[in-house]
Amino acid sequence: MSFKERLGRELLFFDGAMGTMLQERGLKSGELPEIWNVDREGVILDIHKQYLEAGCNIIKANTFGANPFKMKGTGYTCEQLTKKGIEIAKRAIAESGRRAYAALDIGSLGKLLEPLGDLSFEEAYEAFCAMCVAGEEAGADLCLIETMNDTYEIKAAVLAAKEHTNLPIVVTMVFDENGKLLTGADMEAAVAMLEGLRVDALGLNCGFGPDIMQGFLPKLREITSIPIVINPNAGLPVVVDGKTCFHVGPKEFADIMKKIAQEGVSVMGGCCGTTPAHLRALVEACREIPPMALTEKNRSVVSSYTHAVELGSHPKIIGERINPTGKSRFKQALRDNDLEYIYKEALAQQDRGAHILDVNVGLPEIDEVQMMRSVVTGLQGITDLPLQIDTSDPVAMETAMRLYNGKPLINSVNGKQESMDTVFPLAARYGGMIVCLTLDEHGIPETAEGRIKIAEKIIQEAAKYGISKKDLLIDTLTMTISTGQENARITLEALHYVRHVLGVHTTLGVSNISFGLPQRERVNTAFFTIALAQGLSAGIINPNSEAMMAAYHACCALNGSDSQCQDYIALYSQQGETAKTASSKSGDISLFDAVVRGLAESAHQAAEKELETRKPLEVIDEELIPALDKVGQGFENQTVFLPQLLMSADAAKAGFDAIKEHLQAEGASSESKGSIVIATVKGDIHDIGKNIVKVLLENYGFHVIDLGKDVDPELVVQAAREHQVKLVGLSALMTTTVANMEVTIKMLKEELPDCKVMVGGAVLTQTYADMIGADFYSKDAMGSVRYANELFQA
Amino acid sequence: MRADRKETLRYLGYGGQEMEPQLAQMIEETAVELEKGSSPKSIYQEYACQVLGDKIKIGELTVQSHHLAVNLKGCEQAVLLAATIGRKADLMIRKYSVCNMAKAAVVQAAGAACIENYVDEVEEEIRKNARERGLYLRPRFSPGYGDFALECQRDIFQMLECSKRIGVTLTEGNLMMPSKSVTAVIGLTTRERESCQMEKCSLCAKTDCEFRQEGEDL
Repeated sequence: MSFKERLGRELLFFDGAMGTMLQERGLKSGELPEIWNVDREGVILDIHKQYLEAGCNIIKANTFGANPFKMKGTGYTCEQLTKKGIEIAKRAIAESGRRAYAALDIGSLGKLLEPLGDLSFEEAYEAFCAMCVAGEEAGADLCLIETMNDTYEIKAAVLAAKEHTNLPIVVTMVFDENGKLLTGADMEAAVAMLEGLRVDALGLNCGFGPDIMQGFLPKLREITSIPIVINPNAGLPVVVDGKTCFHVGPKEFADIMKKIAQEGVSVMGGCCGTTPAHLRALVEACREIPPMALTEKNRSVVSSYTHAVELGSHPKIIGERINPTGKSRFKQALRDNDLEYIYKEALAQQDRGAHILDVNVGLPEIDEVQMMRSVVTGLQGITDLPLQIDTSDPVAMETAMRLYNGKPLINSVNGKQESMDTVFPLAARYGGMIVCLTLDEHGIPETAEGRIKIAEKIIQEAAKYGISKKDLLIDTLTMTISTGQENARITLEALHYVRHVLGVHTTLGVSNISFGLPQRERVNTAFFTIALAQGLSAGIINPNSEAMMAAYHACCALNGSDSQCQDYIALYSQQGETAKTASSKSGDISLFDAVVRGLAESAHQAAEKELETRKPLEVIDEELIPALDKVGQGFENQTVFLPQLLMSADAAKAGFDAIKEHLQAEGASSESKGSIVIATVKGDIHDIGKNIVKVLLENYGFHVIDLGKDVDPELVVQAAREHQVKLVGLSALMTTTVANMEVTIKMLKEELPDCKVMVGGAVLTQTYADMIGADFYSKDAMGSVRYANELFQA
Repeated sequence: MRADRKETLRYLGYGGQEMEPQLAQMIEETAVELEKGSSPKSIYQEYACQVLGDKIKIGELTVQSHHLAVNLKGCEQAVLLAATIGRKADLMIRKYSVCNMAKAAVVQAAGAACIENYVDEVEEEIRKNARERGLYLRPRFSPGYGDFALECQRDIFQMLECSKRIGVTLTEGNLMMPSKSVTAVIGLTTRERESCQMEKCSLCAKTDCEFRQEGEDL
């Protein structure tokens, strides 16, 4: 029988630690254990045999760290050591004559993925592919992805295993004492993503001993529908005289594991500090215990890299603002590749209480796939809300689903065969909940029955792909009442039936209801309230609308999903007062004062007010710039310190935004003083200083082309040439990266001799800057503004 | 672990300027958000230590560094230490760089204060344990100080299994991620400590640094 056939039907046993055993036999700290596959094959074989002898039936091959990154510079290749590792495990099994399996053991790459780290998702994927292919070729029976602490890295590994092998996949992770992965994901988030990716089993390893791990299991059992694996350490690592030790002995280990087995798991074994003696005691204690009974938990969840959002009795808000439809400013942002504008929309909606963010970046004149890639990756770096991937382009959809760190919501599929044939395979492959529109080849049915029929058809078709009702979110389609009095009734009847009779979650794009009517918010709010009462699971709305959010919070208090009205009270008990203070604060403050005092909201309002009577240029020259100068001088005289300068900069930016909006409404556009390319040099990832410089330069009217951090010299030159700039700003934090700064400057000077270069960063000094050939050394952000002003005036 | 407020202000370049209460409140809230969201983690191991001229052996790690050799002179043991406050600071900086640059700068400063404070705590734990064995600690010394090459990070990371144990990784250029992380060597000696904590600044080439501790040049 294969591993997969036995998994979940009988209790299976992984082996224990490899590293601990190797250290006893002389493996030195820092030495790569996988090299012993070649150098000391006999030792590895012997350890495997001891575990088989102890009764284990899954052997973790000695391949944990055999990935291409760790093999670099060792003289060995990933393929070579992976294959050798599997071969030794298989030989041990064959020679022992036991019915056991060799697991390709895959650990973390030891590098952090983008956006926080410098490893791209696809690079991680390629590295895992190399291991998976070699492992399967050498005859592995399953793939164990273990000791993982980052959902994104797990996803890369799982996709590599799924797409390049036919091996069953088991994933075990390290949660900390707060029940979170090091990268912040809680158990619900990790389980949602892994079940979405359809791994064969999941669980915990390393980090703790069985006693503490036992505490995590009730939660894990409650939310997991697939087999659970547990491979604890022999207790917590304890440092004794500077050495790491594990104190839980075989008997104690087995005693706790027996209790765990009785409470229910599918596979158990050991991690750091466990020995064949531990495993022998474990197998003897647990051999007769049946595995946990598997039950479908039917949880409707999407997840981000930190948490899951469950659809249930408590309705959810899907923020609709990241969408260019009908928004000229948003369209402009897409055309200008102004991602910051999009990120701000995201953060504003999160502040207003959205649970999930819809992401639609389609515009005929832009490359939607590329834009989707940038926006999804970027959003994952600044917001922890789950995303709803909203596109009709299947390539953009797949790109986003692949790069998404979690289980996404997909918007959308519909009853057309072609749509279902396209979207369901993607959902089956990457996981996700899917918004299903009740329309088909014949259009949108004009009756509730018609829409319900399509819903039923979609549910049936989804089942063919193994996608169950829990992962569908049916949209019974909001049509405006301005074209048909029956429209609201039809939508709501269908919605009620889908939710309460078909038992499937529902969603609506709420605001369509009032299209063509005056005072739309009034109709939207009422419709939203009724829809919630009829069983709307998640409303796609504008969370920036105070009235809509008030309706939502009131409905939650009324339907009992806001326990003891806590959310409602927390939100609204203070509101009367804050509203008053806010209005008095922004009362009569001038634009100049608002900027000096760093009040962004007031600055925006004051600028709008100024624009009623004065010309934009006047407002800039006589209010904004003098205020900025005052603060800037204060900073240089040290009467103002950095946060104050930055608050003023943000306030000025809000003022400029008001002016931009004003100009755009008049069909004009603002003029820039000139373009400047800025970048944090190759090898350096600390870019806050550069970002501060960017904000200030923009305040003073420069168009800043920000290339980001860790930027290749060639890219800097290319951007400088392309935009024909006369100034490039470079930042570096470390002594080691100043060398890359020098290379970049040299290349710039050779290729574009007229282009000036200013530099800044923690380790730089005037002497250093001179040495590497910079034209200007700026000791702080204001220095760069002064230099740019001088240069562009000349 | 906490972000010492005075240190946070010092990193922000505060020099007694007048501060509106709203700014003080923002700094406080931001520091609290960071403290609450951070999960500090550390790992350390003790190794035999040998110093021969400017060549140092710490376990299997070989380092060529005059400054480190001076620091470790006479030590027969040394601790390798890695610590981090986690990813929260980096995530907050990213987020606030989009919508509130002042907050981003405060996180940067508070994060630096947090990791310093946390490493002090871990060092205190090491000190206590060492005292029980009659050993004293030398000032901690990190790759990148003086001529202690940053490339040594590679070996230290492998020896301590930093990525697996505490989730700290190295970039291609040997910078640590999460960025609010520290690695260090701490020498253990049987003699009372001989050098002072302020040695770090005197070894740094950035002589015009506004954070430089006064009067500590060697």
